[in-house]
Amino acid sequence: MSDRAGSEPAFESSVLRAYAPGSSNALTLSDESALAKTIVRAEAGSPASASLAVSFGSSRREGATLVLGQRPDEYMLIGSAQSNASIVARLDTSGHVSVIDHTHSRALFRLTGAQASATLEKVCSLDWSNAMTPDGAVVSASIAKVNCDIARNDREPVDAEPASASPSYLIACDRSFGQYLFDALIDAGGEFGIGVVTAADGLQE
Amino acid sequence: MLLVPCPNCGPRNAADMRYVGESGPRPDPNTATPAQWRDYLYTERNPAGLLRETWYCRSGCRTFFVVERDTTNNQFVHGPTRVTKLGGKA
Repeated sequence: MSDRAGSEPAFESSVLRAYAPGSSNALTLSDESALAKTIVRAEAGSPASASLAVSFGSSRREGATLVLGQRPDEYMLIGSAQSNASIVARLDTSGHVSVIDHTHSRALFRLTGAQASATLEKVCSLDWSNAMTPDGAVVSASIAKVNCDIARNDREPVDAEPASASPSYLIACDRSFGQYLFDALIDAGGEFGIGVVTAADGLQE
Repeated sequence: MLLVPCPNCGPRNAADMRYVGESGPRPDPNTATPAQWRDYLYTERNPAGLLRETWYCRSGCRTFFVVERDTTNNQFVHGPTRVTKLGGKA
């Protein structure tokens, strides 16, 4: 019997390189991969889907967890392990429902700043304007040729134009592409003075 | 850039999609002859005009759907309609 039986393996991020601080805090990138990520698959209209109470393309906050409707029949919970587990424990798993912990298999980054949308527009074909992807929007798209799930999760309300507007995006991709995508975002944000910052402990309020 | 109308995600760059191929009825595997299977798998009409075809939203919602496209001008004229991978309606 392995010594590791029943124990949670230590988390190790896919981003292993060290980065120098950026020239400003106007645009920042952080590695949030340590947050727990749980993917729930449940048919639309099923009890599990109803209890998650989020429609495709949108998100909502429940305690320390952000619930994303990332596909018509798939949801991702991002947050603390305890908070995710409490939401999963309440799910009615009758029917075709699967719950899988993807904490170790998905990388998660947060891109924040007034130029975050402009940075994404360099590496993704979607329209990242406020009208198309407001706070709370969830989309899946190719970023720098990597399939990603993206959630707009602003730290503060973003008005139409002010210079302080600070949209924030959570970007999840397969762990094996994590280092590449992190570098691609730094490359795209280079002209805006992107800086790497330490991840916050848990979801931002 | 070819914008493909996904039923869930809306218009998306064709690079975010996978082109599955021309749509048509799938033969019954219990009764189809080898020639019918070969025809179903490999033969395409490739018309200059309206073509019913299946796409897969690879980078987005991961849904198979059918649209009708005019191959002479790349305009999508009907659809999209969600389908299962094997061509039946979802």
